[in-house]
Amino acid sequence: MKKVLMGTEAAALAAKLARVQVISAYPITPQTVIVENLADMIGGGELKANYMPVESEHSALASCIGASMTGARAFTASSSHGLAYMHEMLHYASGARVPVVMVNCNRALGPPWNLYCDHTDSLAQRDTGWIQYYCADAQDVLDTILIAYRVAERALLPIMINLDAFYLTHTSEVLDVPDQEKVDVFLPPYQPSTKLSVDDPKTFGNVCGTDLFSSIRYKRHCDTLSLEKLWDETSAEFQGHFDRLHPTVETYRTEDADACIIGIGTSTGAMRLAADRLREEGLRIGCIRLSMIRPFPRERFQRAIANVKHLIIIDRDVSFGSEGIVAQEVKAGLFEHRGDVKLTGFIAGVGGNDVSVETIVPLVRQAISGAGTAVEAGKTFWAEVLP
Amino acid sequence: MQPKKVIQSIAELPTMPSTIGTMAWNETGDWRYLTPLITNKLAPCSQNCPAGIPIPSYLNALRDGSVQRSLALLLTHNPLPGLTGRLCYHPCQAKCIRKKIDQAISVQKIERFLADIGTEVKIEKSKTADKRAVVIGSGPLGLSCAFYLSSWGCRVVIMDPSNQAGGALLDLPPEKIEPQVLVNEINRLTLLADIKLETGAVIDFDAPGEPLAKADLVILDPTSLSEDFTAFSRAVAFDPFDDSIVTGDIIAVTLPKKLRPFKAPMIAHYIAVGRLVAQKTSDSLVRPSGQQDLRQPTPDLPRQAANVENIKVERFLGSGLAAKAEAKQEGTWDRERTLREAGRCLSCGTCNLCLQCISFCPDASVRLDERETSVVVDLEHCKGCGICAYECPRGVITMEEIST
Repeated sequence: MKKVLMGTEAAALAAKLARVQVISAYPITPQTVIVENLADMIGGGELKANYMPVESEHSALASCIGASMTGARAFTASSSHGLAYMHEMLHYASGARVPVVMVNCNRALGPPWNLYCDHTDSLAQRDTGWIQYYCADAQDVLDTILIAYRVAERALLPIMINLDAFYLTHTSEVLDVPDQEKVDVFLPPYQPSTKLSVDDPKTFGNVCGTDLFSSIRYKRHCDTLSLEKLWDETSAEFQGHFDRLHPTVETYRTEDADACIIGIGTSTGAMRLAADRLREEGLRIGCIRLSMIRPFPRERFQRAIANVKHLIIIDRDVSFGSEGIVAQEVKAGLFEHRGDVKLTGFIAGVGGNDVSVETIVPLVRQAISGAGTAVEAGKTFWAEVLP
Repeated sequence: MQPKKVIQSIAELPTMPSTIGTMAWNETGDWRYLTPLITNKLAPCSQNCPAGIPIPSYLNALRDGSVQRSLALLLTHNPLPGLTGRLCYHPCQAKCIRKKIDQAISVQKIERFLADIGTEVKIEKSKTADKRAVVIGSGPLGLSCAFYLSSWGCRVVIMDPSNQAGGALLDLPPEKIEPQVLVNEINRLTLLADIKLETGAVIDFDAPGEPLAKADLVILDPTSLSEDFTAFSRAVAFDPFDDSIVTGDIIAVTLPKKLRPFKAPMIAHYIAVGRLVAQKTSDSLVRPSGQQDLRQPTPDLPRQAANVENIKVERFLGSGLAAKAEAKQEGTWDRERTLREAGRCLSCGTCNLCLQCISFCPDASVRLDERETSVVVDLEHCKGCGICAYECPRGVITMEEIST
């Protein structure tokens, strides 16, 4: 069935299609539509789930962790400061190995106060052990939430699906909405082999001495690494059911490209248009969208850049005192693999500026020619700053 | 304290960090400093009541619709509910646990309602009573003292030199206590306890009339008589809190500083002191050794008061009391509202197996016993966190330092 939906509406609908059993969330712009829609669905009887209103995002995720440990499929959504407030529980969720799926709407962190798109909020949570997926459009949102539950429940790891504030959360698209019956076939109910239950008493998250801690961490690391493959397998399964593919790395005209533009989120669409336009000028440009940042999709990424000589990364985030976070990730993915690749990192679109074709084309030209208006600072170039 | 199995390889590690079996082997009871003590006890309202009234017991009777039993239970401890229902500062309400949920039970309104119920039939007194006492003065202390002395088997006459009964209560403005209410309260008290009340009495010890001449003991009421009352010079001072033996035939009750001069809001204290005087004096007057003590727990020692269920109300008032219709007073709640209010009482101090403690124990250490009639603590595992005591809605669980 075709429907016109915003990214947030797609997220709520996906949670409903996934038959989530427990929802606990605290509203925050631009995520609010998601929780409002879900509350309406529950209130209207369309969705049979427990909605737990809580006083904070910390409690929201804590509730989801508890629910998930009892074997319920749990969902939450947040953004920016809300996500930051969840930080402790993010570690707890991945440590407890609960397959919670969360939607995060990428919004700038204040001060100065800003409601608009910025990836620093979720990328700053890179090391919490969550799987991070960055959506390009609303169909991606709807589909990957379903895939995420399948993957999370197989791997027993939490997954964060990221949506660009407003560019994705509040813009409408025509979506292909799968039938509930077909979703139920792809995504069966969550039936964990171990859960918090009075019939099988166990202590969860208990004290662990030095003897086992390393081994438990090692096991989790291995499971997280193997998730790249698991995602692609599950994504292929999803394609079998619904004929749509959502890979960890998406490439565009990379085969013969000399240089590739790399980004995450919605601006990767504009990057493809920019590549087309630059190709009209005779520059052989391709695009790589890193849809997954954790685990870093090392294998697919390295395949994608096999013939590329210059990588141009546009970050909508920054690690102050270093450079763009995606640029760091790309460098780490290249290290000891391709010493011959030139790399140029830009910071653009932080705090909501549109990263349009008009933004991208001059940055690529600057990366190639060395001349342009983006200002060098450390190892990165800042677009859109005052002189 | 050893687990049954030790993990040897990565494959054996559970994916979710958890124990691989129960933790019952880990007897955490030795972490405990404070131990939950689960015993029925006096409710906080009763503990804080100057007259030691077992409030939940008469509220429960009222909730069950048994107005007569409720009134009997109240009168057994407080023969002047119409006065306390208007004057007392109700420290019981300050300690009401129901405050944690919404608001305190309005004991004051319930007292007023019960006070307005008409009564008849006298107390069945011991037939062996042959001791006689005269209480001079009919203030709240004197009335209370006379009531209990009579209830416990003494023939009592109240003599008041004033033309109107009530003592210090007569000085209160009518908006505090309506004159008719005072009359009704005194009438009921004297009727129930079969007390003869003489107002405008002539007190002359040199030429005593019948009651004075035959009295084994004369008690002077400080809540009624002015300090220059002539009989004080003949009397022996009696401090009910310190003195345990009555010496002399005429005693002048002395009050602690906080009760002097008369303060209307302290009404329950005067009732309690009157009862204490009656208890101490009746020891020497009425009860030969070996006779069963029908008296209630002493009001000045409410913390040691016995289980409220043991009250012998039937022997005292229950069988001798017949409740009549309510005499509707302005500002008094109606029956329906009062019964509803009484229904809000949580019956603190008495475990009714609500099992909140079991729900909240994070270590599954609070359980029902095998017969499912009481709650017990598994001391092998209880860490003494105190959550059960905090969650107990009736204050039955307290955390105590108990050496094991």
